[in-house]
Amino acid sequence: MLPYLTKAVSNLFHKPSTEQFPAGDPPKAAEGYRGRLSYDPEKCVNCGMCIRVCAPQCMERTIEKLENGDQKITFTFDMTSCTFCSMCADFCARHAITLTDDYMIVGTKPEDFLVTGSFVKKAPPPKPKLTPEQIAEMKAKAEAAKKAKAEAAAKAAAAAADNG
Amino acid sequence: MFEKLIDNSMAKSPWIFHINAGSCNGCDIELVSVLTPRYDAERLGFKLTGTPRQADIVVVSGPITVQTRDRLVRTLAQVPEPRVVVSLGSCPRSGNVFKGSYAIDGPLEKYTHVDVSVGGCTPKPEAIMAALVQAAQILEEKRKEMRK
Amino acid sequence: MNELLLNLFYVLVFPGLLFCILMGILLAGLDRVWVARMQRRVGPPLLQPWYDFLKCCGKETIVPRHAKKAVYFAAPVIGFVALMTISLFLPVVKGRAAFSGTADLVVILYLLTLVSVCMMVGASATGSPFAGVGLSREMVAMISYELPFVLVILAVSRATLSYDAGTGMPLTFSLQAIMEYQEANGPLITHWSLIPAAIAMLFVIPCEVGMHPFDVSEAETEICEGTLAEYSGPPLAVYKLTHMVKMYIMTALFCVLFLGGLTTGILFFDVVIFILVCALLTFITMSLPHAVCARFKTEQVFKFYWTVVAGLAAVSLILVWLGL
Repeated sequence: MLPYLTKAVSNLFHKPSTEQFPAGDPPKAAEGYRGRLSYDPEKCVNCGMCIRVCAPQCMERTIEKLENGDQKITFTFDMTSCTFCSMCADFCARHAITLTDDYMIVGTKPEDFLVTGSFVKKAPPPKPKLTPEQIAEMKAKAEAAKKAKAEAAAKAAAAAADNG
Repeated sequence: MFEKLIDNSMAKSPWIFHINAGSCNGCDIELVSVLTPRYDAERLGFKLTGTPRQADIVVVSGPITVQTRDRLVRTLAQVPEPRVVVSLGSCPRSGNVFKGSYAIDGPLEKYTHVDVSVGGCTPKPEAIMAALVQAAQILEEKRKEMRK
Repeated sequence: MNELLLNLFYVLVFPGLLFCILMGILLAGLDRVWVARMQRRVGPPLLQPWYDFLKCCGKETIVPRHAKKAVYFAAPVIGFVALMTISLFLPVVKGRAAFSGTADLVVILYLLTLVSVCMMVGASATGSPFAGVGLSREMVAMISYELPFVLVILAVSRATLSYDAGTGMPLTFSLQAIMEYQEANGPLITHWSLIPAAIAMLFVIPCEVGMHPFDVSEAETEICEGTLAEYSGPPLAVYKLTHMVKMYIMTALFCVLFLGGLTTGILFFDVVIFILVCALLTFITMSLPHAVCARFKTEQVFKFYWTVVAGLAAVSLILVWLGL
């Protein structure tokens, strides 16, 4: 007990080892800390890989059809459901998801914990309408190509027989 | 005047009671680390009490398992007003990786109003400190409302 | 009329209510700061016990269904009033108590017991099993420290007998006589035969107050605050205040029994020195063990007090009785 006693008394004359946190800025997290998600909708290609690998199913994807045929795709990440395992970031082919070092995930409303991003997926340009003549022409072209292919194959077979 | 003194001291001495509702023990350890010399929540008046009757801030960690559900509700009912409920970590709000399990009966919002939540799995002690400070301020507001 | 006002002043202001509460808050706050500093923490502000008290006053009181309501509310108040009464018997400065009798030490012993008994009665009135365990532990703790405490008081009263021989008793229990003896012959701690008793008394203080290594009845991690398990709101605030004031009363009792009789002649300096000595005693007897020791088991407390501490006190008593 004596060493504890001397240590306790000597501690009286030392500065406390307490951090100053609630006064002042929060200290920086360690390198490689996995904190709040950040999602860049510009890079996302809507492959859905992150949703597949997420164990706690914290992601939600809503697809909204716009009037001109485009799709508005919204990703919502719920930070109170996330385990910060970084699987989504590792599997994201386009690096649209990264985990920042922001650990201050504190709030009073559910909205405080949501990370959202949305982008518009453009519909492909409409195909031009084909006339019957064009269709017949394309068919003839395809037929000709088929015939040429068959002839080439026959020639090759004959050549192989000669050699043999 | 006495009432005003009480109002002012409400945020200065919030006592914490911790309920483990099936937590994996990660958040519990981080909550205890808030009281260690490095973070020292006691300088803000926080104290860990052993009984819900004396608590002001109830900290709930863990997804609400079926086994702990009834105990949780009973314990929350024993905390005198004004009280503040803090959900610690991702589990109480959503179930986290246990989501959809037959043994889980969450989220915590089903049973009580959650005032402050901390996200993270597990949250850093600094985040817990920030949440507790916020909870103490909510406690003072609640006391003022209760008086009216 | 004048005497009534003076008595009111005694009861409400100087050795009584106000001074006691202020001293209690000061000592409890100092204790918490010191313990924090010894653990290299910043520690709460000095007025933290006061904030705790005020906050508890502002909380709702939930009376358990099985509780006896009248006892539940009366017990803390009776305990607090009993403690306040002790302060009137202590000749704090200049060797003059507000009220004094021929046997005030016995009254003090009785009232100190009453404080603990009130706590036990209140705990048993709540009907909680945790409080039941707590009260049984409190009882064991009380038995533990009561024996050495009584032995210390016997030793002190026997030592000062020669001065108060006129009463015809083999012992004197008058604090007034003890103070007068110390004024004439120097503080009792300078008498070598009473030094073991003084050490025993230093050990009695933390257990009597219920400070950390000996707080078997309020072990918050094992039995949910034990005797206070079901208390909330203003009754809890009164209990907390009782706890704080008890720190002051016990340290002041030590001052009176062993360090009395010294005076600078100026009342103000006397009071300041008294407060400083109380703070020093708080540091030695309560803060240091709190920071250094883990909580004892109930039987460890019992064994420690009935062997080591009671032994010290008994040695002192035998030496005094032999006239050494």
